[in-house]
Amino acid sequence: MLKSKERINFAFYLMTVPMVLLFFVFHTYPFLQGIFYSFTNWKGYGKWSFVGLRNYLHIFSDKDVGNAYAFTFFFALLATIFVNLFSLLLALGLNSKIKFKNALKAIYFLPYMLGNLIVGFIFNFVFANLLPMLGQALGIGALSVNILGTDNAWIGVLLVTVWQSLAFNTLIYLSGLQSVDQDLYEAANLDGAIGWKRFKHITFPLIAPFFTINMVLCVKGFLMAFDQIMAMTNGGPGSATTTISVLIYKKGFQGAQFAYQSADAVLLFIVIVSISMFQLFVLEKREAKFE
Amino acid sequence: MRKTIKSITASALCLAIIGSSFAGCSGTSSASTAQPVTSAAASTASETAVAQPATLELFSTKSENKNILQSIIDDFHVQNPNITITITCPQDAGTVLKTRLTKNDIPDIIAMGGDATFKELQGADVLEDLSNEPYAASVQDSYKKMVYDVQKDKEQKLYGVPYATNASGVLYNVDMFKAAGVEVPKTWDEFLAVCKKFQSAGKTPFELTFKDSWCCLPPWNSMAPDLQLSSFTDDRMAKKTTFAATHQEVAQKYLELLKYAQKDYMGTTYADGNKAFAEGKAAMMINGNWAISEFKKTNKDFKVDLFAFPASNDISKNYVTSGVDVLFAINKDSKAKDAAKKFVSFMMEKTTAQKYIKDQFAFSAIKGVEQEDSTVASVKADIANGKVANFPDHYYPSGFDLASLAQNFAKNAAANMDATKNISDFLKQCDEKYDTANVG
Repeated sequence: MLKSKERINFAFYLMTVPMVLLFFVFHTYPFLQGIFYSFTNWKGYGKWSFVGLRNYLHIFSDKDVGNAYAFTFFFALLATIFVNLFSLLLALGLNSKIKFKNALKAIYFLPYMLGNLIVGFIFNFVFANLLPMLGQALGIGALSVNILGTDNAWIGVLLVTVWQSLAFNTLIYLSGLQSVDQDLYEAANLDGAIGWKRFKHITFPLIAPFFTINMVLCVKGFLMAFDQIMAMTNGGPGSATTTISVLIYKKGFQGAQFAYQSADAVLLFIVIVSISMFQLFVLEKREAKFE
Repeated sequence: MRKTIKSITASALCLAIIGSSFAGCSGTSSASTAQPVTSAAASTASETAVAQPATLELFSTKSENKNILQSIIDDFHVQNPNITITITCPQDAGTVLKTRLTKNDIPDIIAMGGDATFKELQGADVLEDLSNEPYAASVQDSYKKMVYDVQKDKEQKLYGVPYATNASGVLYNVDMFKAAGVEVPKTWDEFLAVCKKFQSAGKTPFELTFKDSWCCLPPWNSMAPDLQLSSFTDDRMAKKTTFAATHQEVAQKYLELLKYAQKDYMGTTYADGNKAFAEGKAAMMINGNWAISEFKKTNKDFKVDLFAFPASNDISKNYVTSGVDVLFAINKDSKAKDAAKKFVSFMMEKTTAQKYIKDQFAFSAIKGVEQEDSTVASVKADIANGKVANFPDHYYPSGFDLASLAQNFAKNAAANMDATKNISDFLKQCDEKYDTANVG
């Protein structure tokens, strides 16, 4: 213990400190400022004064906010379930011994490389022009019009979101599956555990940490769904597909409610952090059971 | 082995959450952070502009007029080689402008509509008073009044000089009207008769483009001034009246129109609808003169005209909806204010104004400058005689998103909701949202 302090290489500071500064300037400082303004009546410009908790209290009586939260949770729940289900299936398929495995992997990863906006615009065209043509040809009433203009607009948005999000989650599951020791499977084979049994008792428990990561990232990402909605429906028709992020953006900038929507953003932050923490807590416990 | 994977994933996860939750909030607040940085940048930029070669930024909220403004700027630059003007003309310009306002980064010259965004800019006290400029006297009084009316406390000063004006009503395909043997309708009953005639001939009367929510406003904007008392906007603000009490007829007629629209009017975008209309797929479109240049892109020889929306059976009440489409405002604190004023006065010259409206199929707010094009011939006389009413939504608070409400109203109609319930829900929501539009 009395040994003289080890010299710490200066290079390590050089690696970390600049990033900390950048992170602070572009992430932490704006974040703190947002919290600050949420206690004012600032419109985004001009004069302002402190209003205490008024913005926060108003959130709870604002129907727009309530509706947006309801839609956001509904959307995030469905998207998380579908994305995890399908990406796990895809990963299992891609991890087995099939032909063209690498080509398929590349194809499934492609949507992830495209920007959300681009994907949104492409599907805008598909929904407006191609699907109605198909719907008319097949005589399906609900498909014969652009579904983004109807009460079913959320289905269109959900479909595109799931399709695009599959790529990254599949990748994570795939890396999980590849880390599973093949010897375990051989042993399981000898014990007669195959098919569903093998998946339930061996594969899934072993990739549990990857399931945790996917669940948390999905929920967090979908609770903040924004770009695909702006590109496809702009929150419409009416306010049918307005998520909380879209509401914050539209009302905050277009509706001169900067301070009020800052309060809304702070609330969203708290909600997302609590949900993520809760998920981590519960899912890690579950993981521990399999240790 | 498994332990390490777990701890790695756990720590990666923690980082991901912390990082991304900050990122989530930075979307709203980054605008404010940038404040010191950009305003400093802006002031250095304009300080250099004090010296002889001035560089100005002209911000236009209309993507349609970018080319013509550029060509006028080129002319101006030939006469004033020491003044360089760059145009900024982004998508969703109203939002961009307000965002820049949050950063105190106001462009030197702003070309924008006399709308709610102007109202906010003027209310934020960042614009120069242009009442005493020599060209102010040449502006038509009816349009000056429209500017006064949206200003804070209806102040009688010109913080924006009306330049070009627009007209909204019913755009119609002249050839299709001729072929069907119908005249331009003057009353609501005649209007419905025309619609029925087209429908029974197997033609689509209206091409509506309600996928874009702002397109749900033109029918409302055209009907509301014809069917309600002119004191409504003031009374509503003073909470002496409600939408529910006064706009029943507007809402009923709105639903009536939807019956004559093409099948997928909720799923058609403005761009797609303009194309379909220019290809002769429908006889009429409820929108404004700004769409005409879009039609011409699809069909150069398209014969189109605009008539005043006949919302009432009393002909004297059927106004042309016309507002200030473009006005010029100057940043009060611009370091190159003189150069900016010089450019605006160049824009206000009659020959320049004529060139501008010819290109835009627009109308001029300047006395004696008239639109000669046949595409808007039917409303020319009304505009010259001042039989115009401003867009009612220019008087609504900017947080009041009527477009979304109207889009919802139309969507419910498309989903066959009971009309009486739809109307009462819609008007009730209008009142609720109007009252809560401006929080704090």
